[in-house]
Amino acid sequence: MEMTTSLFPWITNSPLIAVQVMSGLSVGMFLFLLSVGMSLIFGVTRIVNLAHGSFYMVGAYLMAALIEVLPGNPVSFWIALLLAPIGVAVLGGVIEITLLRRVYRRDPMMQLILTFALILIIGTLVLLVWGPDNKSVARPEALAGSVRILGQPFPSYYLLVLGLSPLVAVGLWLVFYRTRWGMLVRAATVDREMLGALGVDVSRLYTQVFAFGSWLAGLGGALAAPTVAVALGMDADVLINAFVVVVIGGLGSFAGTLISALVVGELQSFGILIFPGVSIVLPFALMAVVLMIRPWGLLGEPEE
Amino acid sequence: MSTESHTAARSFCLLGLLFALFGPVGSAVAQENAIRIGEINSYSGVATVYTFPYKEGLMLATKEINDAGGVLGRRLEFIHRDDKLKPDEAVKAARELVLQEKVDFLAGCISSAVGLAISAYAKDAKVLYFATHCQTSRLTWDQGHRYVAHTTNNVSQYARALAKRASTLPYTRWAHISPDYEYGQNLWQEFWAYLKYLKPDVQLVQQNWPKLGETDHSPYITALLQSGAEAFFSGLWGAQEIAFVKQARPFGLMEKAQFVPSSLGNPDELDPLGREAPVGAITTAFAWYDDGVKKRHPALDAWTKKYITWATTHGMKDPLPKLGATWGYASAYIIAEAIRRAKATDPDKVSAVLSEGFEMEFPWGTVIMRGCDQQAIPPQWTGVVKMGEEGKPIVADIEEIHGKDLIRSCDEVAQLRAAAARNK
Repeated sequence: MEMTTSLFPWITNSPLIAVQVMSGLSVGMFLFLLSVGMSLIFGVTRIVNLAHGSFYMVGAYLMAALIEVLPGNPVSFWIALLLAPIGVAVLGGVIEITLLRRVYRRDPMMQLILTFALILIIGTLVLLVWGPDNKSVARPEALAGSVRILGQPFPSYYLLVLGLSPLVAVGLWLVFYRTRWGMLVRAATVDREMLGALGVDVSRLYTQVFAFGSWLAGLGGALAAPTVAVALGMDADVLINAFVVVVIGGLGSFAGTLISALVVGELQSFGILIFPGVSIVLPFALMAVVLMIRPWGLLGEPEE
Repeated sequence: MSTESHTAARSFCLLGLLFALFGPVGSAVAQENAIRIGEINSYSGVATVYTFPYKEGLMLATKEINDAGGVLGRRLEFIHRDDKLKPDEAVKAARELVLQEKVDFLAGCISSAVGLAISAYAKDAKVLYFATHCQTSRLTWDQGHRYVAHTTNNVSQYARALAKRASTLPYTRWAHISPDYEYGQNLWQEFWAYLKYLKPDVQLVQQNWPKLGETDHSPYITALLQSGAEAFFSGLWGAQEIAFVKQARPFGLMEKAQFVPSSLGNPDELDPLGREAPVGAITTAFAWYDDGVKKRHPALDAWTKKYITWATTHGMKDPLPKLGATWGYASAYIIAEAIRRAKATDPDKVSAVLSEGFEMEFPWGTVIMRGCDQQAIPPQWTGVVKMGEEGKPIVADIEEIHGKDLIRSCDEVAQLRAAAARNK
């Protein structure tokens, strides 16, 4: 124990551990919001949407644009937070109807090429519309400061994220396991043809799912906007993270995505204290281990 | 293996494949008798915040040079290619420019990896390459050769300028946060080595190496808070540093330790931060708006106005001058001067002129092109972030020091090159 404490002096420092746990938790919650839509879209449509990070970026840009347009009062932030993800959902719906619908039955390679092309197209459109300059969104006045946790300051905005993400998780569970629509979506993942034969408009269902997944990406982007720079390239930066989380958790599993996001968040948080030089490798190392032991992810289901 | 993990693995392979497949686009119309320079830089995506102002500066200087009769009686013409921030893409463009477009010289780069890749190609092909925008010191030092010239400052010069200013602070316990790749490591090592040389009692209490493009730094921030550091250096830049500052403020990090970021003074970071800018941070900056700087460089104000008019007419959303604009502007003039002195476009003759070295006056001071390494040595500025009018942050208390008083000597460069040759 003595050696441990001299090697890792933070072990005896409980306020530090508490704050480190909290910051790992907030990292994890942001990761969950970012990735759960990608997992959902894959679970239902079997498309690995590489443009998921681009939807996230559009959510952040819409948030910045809306806050610029709306009058500068405290309510504007919340209106923008409501509208920006809806804008992304509409974009996702339109893309599904015009493009993705044509490739569901094609080779997965074709689907990847298409969603990869979307990254380039959306990236270029964002540059054309909003220009190359970085943008910044201010936190709402009430959440601009910090609260004290065991005497350590902790940003109050993160409390919003820590509160909202579990709500989203519970909401997703309710929608998919307690509504008729959710039941149809789950049925579609099992047997699309059979569901169609029973008279359900499966195409429309897919559009709705894709728009819903895009809404989640947009929500992630809009909510993260005040804590980052709204900038070109954020699509690629978050895509890798989303990918790691979704692969560890199991493509298509909500609970898996949630657990994986929290594990990756805490792993990063404590990795920094224990192995400062190599901490960025840890999530990828975990992904490699998971792929070796359970290639379908923590809570994913192996395919026949 | 399941379908999912296959899909995952395949999509990564596919990403690589697609990046490799994208070839150069478009072909400029050859201009009879013009001196043609193939300029390779990143004109799409994340780096455009730097490369667009740089290109405006470059085009403004080119127009001035051509309006004044060109070089050796010939027009100067830049043919631009987008490298998409990828070294292999850049080398492909370089080859196309040299073999098909028959350009006389190569220029460009914002990514250090791209600069080193074009430089290696130029060495093989015996084409003279002017690195205009990337900043790694290795370009002209351990990997230097006669076919590469660096027309902007390198990492070492501004890291040392900042270290010199930091050495006047009373703090001895230091930490840092730098992106974990070539540039971030180079920058931190240069800063720390020089600070330790100037102030031997400094000690490093904690290090943070987030990945390049990390979006959430809270665990690093809480680790910094507990490190007991009195001051900390940041090698982050651009959007990543904005994110870091926005995340660090509510944790109270900036009040707890003196913040010494290397590039926060650039407007691409300071302007978006606005009221959230970390007042009191010590950083580098091209503060063209500063009264002291204007007084020291009487020609600067007129140049600033000229540039703003130029950038406005070219539809730049933010037409105010950036450091990159001065580099683009200076690069065109340095290339023209080298050709003029050589009285030829032959790469060996121009390289011979560069190896003798020369000096040029710019509105922001003297730029020395040093002969031994063909490296530009411009003035360096450091300052303190202050809140200006209407929540618009500025950098004030500017101190200027010329790179020639900071840079490694020609002997040291020779040692670096000899060591690199031994390691081969």
